[in-house]
Parts: sequence; C-alpha cells; structure tokens
Amino acid sequence: MSDLSSTPLSRRDFLSTSAKLGAFIAAAPYVARGADGTGPDQVNVAVIGCGEQGRILINAALKIPGVRFKAVCDIWSVNRNYAENILKKFGHDPKPFEDYRELLATVKDLDAVIIATPDFKHAEHTVAAHKAGKHVYCEKLMSNTVEGARSMVVASRESKKLLQLGHQRRSNPRYQHAKDKIVTGNRLLGRITNITGEWHRAVSADLGFPVGKGLTDAKLAEYGYANMHEFRNWRWFKKYAGGPMSDLGAHQIDVYNWMLGVNPSSCMASGGVDYYKTHEWYDNAIAIFEYPTKEGIVRATYNVLTTTSAGGGYHEYFMGDEGALKISESPKATKLYREARAPEWDEWTTKGVVAAPLSGEGAPPAVKPWEKVGVKKLGGPSKATVDVRETAALSAWDIPVTLDKAIHQPHLENFFDAIRKGTPLNCSGESAFATAVTILKINEAVAAQKTLTFAPGDFIA
Amino acid sequence: MKWPAFHHEAMATTFAIVIADHPRDYARQAAAAAFRELDRLESELSRYVESSDIARANRLAAGETISIGEDALHVMLIAADASLATDRAFDAAYASERFPDQPVDAPLFTLDPAAHTLTSHTARLHLDLGAVGKGYALDCMAAQLREWAITTACLQSGGSTALTLAAPAGHTGWPIGIGEDVTHRMLTLTDIALSGSGIAVQGTHLIDPRTGAPSPRATRTWALAPTAALSDALSTAFFIFSEEEIAAFCAAHPEIGGASAVSSTQLNVHGALASYPAIASI
Repeated sequence: MSDLSSTPLSRRDFLSTSAKLGAFIAAAPYVARGADGTGPDQVNVAVIGCGEQGRILINAALKIPGVRFKAVCDIWSVNRNYAENILKKFGHDPKPFEDYRELLATVKDLDAVIIATPDFKHAEHTVAAHKAGKHVYCEKLMSNTVEGARSMVVASRESKKLLQLGHQRRSNPRYQHAKDKIVTGNRLLGRITNITGEWHRAVSADLGFPVGKGLTDAKLAEYGYANMHEFRNWRWFKKYAGGPMSDLGAHQIDVYNWMLGVNPSSCMASGGVDYYKTHEWYDNAIAIFEYPTKEGIVRATYNVLTTTSAGGGYHEYFMGDEGALKISESPKATKLYREARAPEWDEWTTKGVVAAPLSGEGAPPAVKPWEKVGVKKLGGPSKATVDVRETAALSAWDIPVTLDKAIHQPHLENFFDAIRKGTPLNCSGESAFATAVTILKINEAVAAQKTLTFAPGDFIA
Repeated sequence: MKWPAFHHEAMATTFAIVIADHPRDYARQAAAAAFRELDRLESELSRYVESSDIARANRLAAGETISIGEDALHVMLIAADASLATDRAFDAAYASERFPDQPVDAPLFTLDPAAHTLTSHTARLHLDLGAVGKGYALDCMAAQLREWAITTACLQSGGSTALTLAAPAGHTGWPIGIGEDVTHRMLTLTDIALSGSGIAVQGTHLIDPRTGAPSPRATRTWALAPTAALSDALSTAFFIFSEEEIAAFCAAHPEIGGASAVSSTQLNVHGALASYPAIASI
C-alpha cells in the first residue's frame, strides 16, 4: 500500500496539476461541506495488526459514524505507516506502536481493540486486551489451536467484555435474509439434504517485501517469526495458521453451521502439499461433513483449491427437496432455484422474499454509451428451442437484498452497536469457538486419514 | 534486453507491467503488489461491484449523502476537475438522470474532502469511471512500484493507456506507439502517460455529454498528460472535442498533448506532443 501523499497523484500535487489545467478554481462547484449532524456516541478504538486484513477493517470502520481511531499497532513499519497515513487523511490522529503491550498500557481512553494479526497471535492479543478492559473484534480464524480459542472465550467471560469474531457473512443482509426468510423462516428449500461449497483461487506467487524494508532477524525472533518469508506468508505455515481451510474455508463452513443451526457430527478430509514447494499447509483440501439436523442427516462437502480458479470463485450451495440456494458474498454468484415439485413462489415474490428470474442483480446490464473499450451490444433473446433430450434447467431466482456498504462494515457496525446499546453480537466468542473446532478438525482429519467424530461437548468452550 | 512483463485481468481489461533493471523474481513480487492494489481499487471503484463506493453512490436519492473512501474521493475530485477543464466533454456523471428543470451545468454531486462524503443532487446519479478509473489505477500501481524502489517501468491498461516511469538503463525512454497506418510512430516516453480513445465498432458513436447527441468523430484520439488518470480522461474528452477544441485546450495547457487521426494519412498533433521528433516527421 502506498502513501498517496508521496506520489505524483496526491491531492495536493493533483491540485497543482489541476491549477495548471486552469480547473482548480472552477472545481469549487463540486466541493461542498457536508451537513453537520449529531452522530452516535464516540467509540475509541485501536487496531493491532495493520496488514492486508487490518486495512480492510480500517477502511470499512472509517465509514461508520462515531468511530475514533486512537492508536495503531504493527511490528512492521510498512503496515503501521499505511494505517497511520490513511487515518490521518480522515482527520484521526492515531498513536503508532510496535508493541501491543505498550499500546494497551499507554492509551487509556480506549473502548475497543480490533485485532487483525496472524492467527497464532489472536489468543495472546485478545486475552491481553480483555484483561486491559477492552472489547475485542478479532479476525477469524479465532485461533490456530482449540486451547487458544478457548482462552479467548474465557477471557471475554471473565472480563465481561464483548468478543466478536470476524465471520462477517453473519452480518451481511443478504445472508441474514437467506437464513431468516428463505431457509429457516418460510422454508423455501424444503428439507435440506446436501451442501456443497468451494473457494477456488488461481496459483499465486509468494509475497515478498520491498528492498530495504525487511525486519531484522532479531526483531522477527522477538515476535515469534522464523524469517521474512514466513512473516510475509504466515498463512501457509503450521506455526502461525491453519492454511487455506482456515483462511477461506472458515468463512464458508461457518455459514454451514450457522445456516443449519447445528454443528457437524463427523468429518473426513483429504488434502496435501501437492503443488507449492515453499509452503507447509495443504494447497488443496476437500472435507466431507455429516450434520445431524432435526429433519435428518445433511451431507456437506467443501473444497478449497489454491491452484485453479476453475469453477467460478466462492459460494455455499444449500440443496433441499423443494429448492436450492447458492449464496456468496458476490451477488453475481448468488441464485435461488425452485424444484418443479415445490409450491409456486409467486406469494414470496409479492412479499419481497424472492425476486423473479432476470429481475435482480443477475439481470442483464443496461447498455451505456460511455464505454471506453468498444460498445457492447446485448444480443436479442435467442430463438426458443426445445431439446427433448435434456431436462429443462431450473430458473434462477434472486434474493432482493443489496449490500449497500463495504463488505465488512455491517459486522463492525454490529460490534459497535453491541458496545453502545447492547445489540446482541452476530458472532460471539462462544459461537465462533464452535466454528474454530470444526475447522481445526479438518486438518486433523487430513493427517489422520480417517473419519473423525465430534461430541456435542467439543463445541462448548 | 528483454524486460519481464506481468499481466493481470481487472476492470474488464488486461493490465500489464513491464519492469526493467531489476531481477525477475523481485520484479514479479513488486508487480504482484501493484496488481493487489489494482484489485483493491476495482472493489472500491467499479460500478459493477455492489458494495463499491461508486455503486453505492449510484443508488443515492437526491440530497442523500454517503461516506466514501480515500480512493473514491480522490478519483472523483480528479473527474470533477477534468469535467470542468473540458467544459463537460468528459463527464463521469454523464449518464445520470436529471430533474427536468436542472441547469445543464449544475453539478450532479458534491464532495466534502474533509468529511470524505459524496452527496447526490440529481434524480438518479449514474457515475461511471470507465474513462478515468483505469488511468487512476495505473497511477496508484506506479506509486506501489515506487514503494518497492522500482522507478524504471511501463504500465498499461488494456492498450488504451500507457504510463511510463523512468527510462531503463541505456535507453532514453519507453517506446509507445501512436497514430495509425502510415501515420503510426513510436514515441520515446518517460515519466508521462499517453491514452488513446476510439470506438471499436464501426458506425457506433460516443455521446457528447454536452449535447446528448452522438459525437461525429469515428477515428482515434490521443492525450498526453502528467498522470494516467488525466490522460485517460482527456483522451475521451478529445474524442468528443472538435479539432479546434483540441488545439485550443492544448494551447491553454502546455503540459498536455493531443492528437487525432483525421484520416489514414493525417495525424493532427497539438501541444506537448508536437515537440516529439518522431511526430515532427509526419
């Protein structure tokens, strides 16, 4: 991430460019002070961990009224400087820290801490923040060990401070609508019998670092890292994290548990370091779960592949005897299908529960004349044909809900609402613990090469 | 010497980065960092991404205000300036629905840089950064490369904009093509951006935002500017401009160059572009 103030494109420099264009003075009509309003109570926060995920959370939280950043912490100056600079552009004046202990001891008026450090530090940072009397929003996966995750729940309980984990789909209005109005309420899928899910990513190179900006060996050792390669690519190493199942699968398997309202009873899995030469964690892994729901067993599969983008990205696909829901953070990959044997959905269209085919986000885009790379014309409707050899494809319905915010913003808002007015957390430590137990079992099952079972008590911290 | 080139799909086109004078592995990592910046910008600026600032702005009712990120604010300020400088030949809000009584030059949105907010002042805002966003992304990617101490590089978006940084060792600049058929020339560029605009489909015309009528131009135009965001926006404006307007704009803004292919044998050049020796030979 670059500091725009040091580039030719900084606003200050741009304005000088604009001045040369003769436009700056004229630009005044487009610049106006927004209306002043009384916002909600101020919540003072600090961020520990300002890498890629920390930046996403900072940028989302900046769009929430009443959130004040008082401090940022990262052991790497590149990350720390980015966070400090972006916050200053928004009028915040955060104190920078290398060591979170100094931050917690020094900044006295903090209400909450946002933690986006590598997984193996989550427990240490969360427990310390709770002991210092702060509410915590911590990124998933909760911890790379069950013991670590349990210590976080215990610290939250003992300090009576809130702990929210970053499974942000639980606050996404589209996912909430799907759960409350389609799957659980109104039961448009009928009895769910199967789930599939996937996150497929193309091959990507390991992360490097700018010349001259590496941490010293002593500094890396002080904070628990073997070297810069492992520091930059911690997600791939067993000491620090749980690999792609934990990084990607955790989001989606959390949705399996949450949508069904039960935890799995067994897990079998396959995976391996089949492709990359510089990683420890499985680059491709496949898991199979059994979920004991009140209506019967749900069989679920999940693939995380990091060597191909084939298959179309990431989604969770809930399949029932009356309908199916394919849901994703991407609205383009979200669709509903009605089985022919199910009652008509006209009533649900009228009530705004579902949107009829070709009326929602998946509808063809309107043609705009202002396209730089050619002007694409939509084809007309293709000639109707009947192919008697194939079953007609099910019509794709839509969910009439738009996420009108940054993807992580609703989950952060839920956390701040919980602090301000006692709104229930959408992903408390207790519920995220069950997800962590589920995820960590997958890697265990890969290593054991056999089906592992869960006891109901395993999911209770 | 053959310099390593790296490619990435984003914003409905292919971006490329050529990096000179650095080991290939280091260049690849730096390019990957720049492409991550590009993907982040697409998620903030694409009107096709539901949660982007631009998609959110396009859902506003008149008088409504939203918080926007640093990049959306920055690129909208550039777009606003470019729109004013070109008397709306470039207008990122062109396709918006106006109120019947709205003056044609009334701003359809306002920005509050201190508060990072955008307010709509029209019936239905339709912001489209298609003719400035890719250039803006190139500028941000170049900033990312500089963070990696890479100063000798050339960045391109879909062949429509090239942003050159410093020249590779032993060279005077990066070879970038301009013109068509017999007027095609290779320019040697450093620390500057060149964009081209055209219409891919014969017989299709861009709409002139100033009049709502199709622009009569059917051949390509180019703009040379200090940043890729500006060259991107200005090449589009030049496509809308008449020959006289391009000439007048370049005369008023000495840093800017303009060119238009008026026929297969004639390339009109203006302003900063006219001083390049390769052009002078036409």
